[in-house]
Amino acid sequence: MSDTTAAAPETTLPETDAAPTAPAAGVGTTLLAWLDRFAPALAFAAALAVWEAATWVFAIPSFLLPAPSAIVAAGLATPAEVWLGHIWATLRVALMGYLLAIAVSVPLAVALASSRLLSRTLYPMLVVVQSTPIVAVAPIIVVTLGASDLPRVVITFLITFFPIVVSTVTGLLSTPEELIELSRSLRAGRSREILHIRLPYAVPHLVSALKISTTLAVIGAVVAEFVAAERGLGFFILFSTSFFKIPAAFAGLVVLVAISLALFRLVGLAQKMLVPWSLPKSER
Amino acid sequence: MTGRLTRITVLALSLAVLLGTPGRAAEKVTFMIDWLPAGDKAVPYLGVKKGLFAAEGLEVTIQSGRGSSDVVTKLGTGAADIGTGGLAALLQAKAETNVPVKAVYAIYTKQADAIFTTEGSGITSLKDVAGKKIATATFSSSNVAWPLVLRANGIDPASVQMLKVDPGALAPMLAAGQVVATINWVTVAAAFEGPVGEAKKKLVVLPWSNYGYDGYGLSLFVSEKMLRDRPAVVKKFVKAYAEATRMAIADPKAAAEALKAMVPEIDVATAEKQFVSSIPLMVNDVSRRDGDGAFDAKLLKTSWEWVAKAQNLPLDKLDPETAVDRAAAK
Repeated sequence: MSDTTAAAPETTLPETDAAPTAPAAGVGTTLLAWLDRFAPALAFAAALAVWEAATWVFAIPSFLLPAPSAIVAAGLATPAEVWLGHIWATLRVALMGYLLAIAVSVPLAVALASSRLLSRTLYPMLVVVQSTPIVAVAPIIVVTLGASDLPRVVITFLITFFPIVVSTVTGLLSTPEELIELSRSLRAGRSREILHIRLPYAVPHLVSALKISTTLAVIGAVVAEFVAAERGLGFFILFSTSFFKIPAAFAGLVVLVAISLALFRLVGLAQKMLVPWSLPKSER
Repeated sequence: MTGRLTRITVLALSLAVLLGTPGRAAEKVTFMIDWLPAGDKAVPYLGVKKGLFAAEGLEVTIQSGRGSSDVVTKLGTGAADIGTGGLAALLQAKAETNVPVKAVYAIYTKQADAIFTTEGSGITSLKDVAGKKIATATFSSSNVAWPLVLRANGIDPASVQMLKVDPGALAPMLAAGQVVATINWVTVAAAFEGPVGEAKKKLVVLPWSNYGYDGYGLSLFVSEKMLRDRPAVVKKFVKAYAEATRMAIADPKAAAEALKAMVPEIDVATAEKQFVSSIPLMVNDVSRRDGDGAFDAKLLKTSWEWVAKAQNLPLDKLDPETAVDRAAAK
């Protein structure tokens, strides 16, 4: 058996040698291009294969580190409607918190960028809120706001809003002074200055903050579900570990990562469709 | 004449019933279990599924708390109406902040705390834990009484190496041999069988109640506001809950299935085992002597003495009688 496989390359070798050099280089470049294109997927598959093999070779029990195949099996063992219920619960809270964060952060950023007084008084407070570990405060928020979606949305909001405020303020303030002076010399009003000059300048900053915040929104929703919830992927993970079903908990994690990635891509897509000029030329 | 009168009365009464119906909409009750849904918490789910609460005119929503003290807090702040929790957590909260919550019904008349170990670990009784490494959940109510139980059995608590970890890590650590024993409620045993079985080991459970740890465990808690404003609702709830408990004990599989119907992630076989393991905590010499749900003054005092000693509180800091309301269970 091993003889035949060893012999196979030897028989093909003279053929490649005999072939003209130009097509060989062509094959080489297509192979490289192919590798370049699929390298991320291949690396991912290789990592999974190593993981799977390690759990078999070292006989790692599923309660310490489940094999990828065990995680997939646990994921499939949970009915689709159960998954959908949890996904919807988490996604709803994450999106509500995210949208609330955008609705509050952008006007707040405009206010901070336009008034030195506001900036001096509000900014330190925002930093204090951001420096407070939300995970530690979450139980208190739940007690104060009761057991509904409200505390979960508030927790998500608190985790999400800060990067949006900071990035938008940075963007608003990075508008070139000449442009502002020009607009003033043309008697553009304050609102025109903000709407037509400063905000467009802030868009790339805003979009990158929105991208970061998608993953933060999912984290916020999960933190809230750890503290108080009957549904959602955070609840599912906590529930699975309470029964020591570690592969199921990992399956929940995989779904969470997928949601984060999907939201991240969605913001990218929205940027491409709505404000393509904010992208670098190579990515348009 | 009398016939006519009777007819009028009947007519008037039916009219009153008809008119009265819309006004008698189901009373909403938010019920909070002390931890995530599991077999040993199946009773309220069975009550909802079999319509026992509905028959009393109650619309019960079940929420899962994150520990007994979480339930006490949620009841105190009005986030939930009725809940379950270990009596020790309520007694401690009462002594420290006089939280407006009372226990109305004793569910576990034996303590559920236990040592979980594996066969061949060298631990066959409580005294064997001296010098060993044991894991417990960081926020477990068992941690409070643990040193006292050890001392009561002539063991120096300092001789035991304690590890505080996340509850989800306990079974994996025991199965992997990172610790020789864990501290858990006996009702969790069925969930341990997965990891412990995978490691080709056999679980051994040593209940603390075998080593002199007496007192009330899981109980029904109600906020004082609820007792004041809606006493009839509390009474009806307790009645339906007691009936659901009896049904669940008679048919644990039905209880597990009712739980599964409302919490689809549940594994019925594990849940049934979990519930069965909780039956001796509910049906025992104490419950037979005092009746279902009753708080005996002497055992209540014993429960408080354990808490007071464990928390270094003076015994007169709390009259345990102020933590219970026996009227609702009657």
